[in-house]
Amino acid sequence: MTVDTAEEIAAQEFARIVESHRPQIFRFLLSSLRDIDLAETLTQECFLKAHRNWSHFRGDSSAMTWLMRIAINLQKDHWRNRRIQFWRQTRTNAVDLDEASEWLPNGERNAEQQMLAREQVAQVWQAVKGLSERQRTVFLLRYVEERELSEIASATGLSEGTVKAHLSRALGRVRTELRGPR
Amino acid sequence: MNWQQDRSGEIPRIEPEVEQALKHFKASMDAWSDAALSRPRTATHAAVRPAAAGWRMAASWALGCVVVMGSLAGAVHEIVHRQEMARIAAQKTAQKTAEERTAAPQVTAQPTGVQPVSAQSDKKTPADTMRKVSAAQDSASAQDENLLASVDSDVSRGVPAAMEPLAALMDDNETQ
Repeated sequence: MTVDTAEEIAAQEFARIVESHRPQIFRFLLSSLRDIDLAETLTQECFLKAHRNWSHFRGDSSAMTWLMRIAINLQKDHWRNRRIQFWRQTRTNAVDLDEASEWLPNGERNAEQQMLAREQVAQVWQAVKGLSERQRTVFLLRYVEERELSEIASATGLSEGTVKAHLSRALGRVRTELRGPR
Repeated sequence: MNWQQDRSGEIPRIEPEVEQALKHFKASMDAWSDAALSRPRTATHAAVRPAAAGWRMAASWALGCVVVMGSLAGAVHEIVHRQEMARIAAQKTAQKTAEERTAAPQVTAQPTGVQPVSAQSDKKTPADTMRKVSAAQDSASAQDENLLASVDSDVSRGVPAAMEPLAALMDDNETQ
């Protein structure tokens, strides 16, 4: 096999990975940032970074976990930069929670069920808003991306025990929000 | 996916109500993400950003210019102020010297009173004048010291009865 052929195969493999994992990475970043443009930009950056380091990917974890780790780091960098550059005019297109809660698949539910579902989604968003950055990441990876605890631990660089603790706290907040003020 | 089970171990138990809410949340996120991915791309963001960046840059330049101009104006003002102060100081010195020159013949004329002033001033050298001026200053300062000493002693004598021993001690010191 020639070098050109090997490079071609690697490029094809990477293109397949981009195609199959792009929606998940975008969805994770969108749920973390609530900003479509920013989520798109960071998704592009994530795959650009992955492409540059593709030769270093040893396959210790799945490609999805590796990509998710890059996305988490990019997201962290973004928040850090925003904190540092607080004096700059920060343009954000993050949608508010009500708008984010409007999205629901068109199922066979009646209007009342739709309204109830929308209300629950809004309450979960409210709970997510109150979570720390780490808790939010763990929560979204588990309940939106449906990752295993070991995958979440690998992607975030935390131990499984810590992941469980963060999940537990995040769920506690969701419960509190769903019960509402008593 | 069943959120109650996990290959890697236990996870916190979830009540049906919470599980339902989480499923709705995931469904909502999926719908939003799919819609966002399939939306037509617009270049509005790119079109707006340079204008905002231009304004920011212009504002930065304006602020920078104001700071630089302010610094320069401050420096110029400081230099002019110093020059003015130096000029006033030189003027005062010259005035003082002139006064001393005019005062010197009068000081020398008073003690003798025999020779005419014009004749005596003709013979005086600048060194003599300076010596006499300093002698006059010394005598004036000696007079001041004597006056202050007498005031001190008056004040010390006027102290209350409780301070009397201390005043007496000071008198003793003065006599010694």
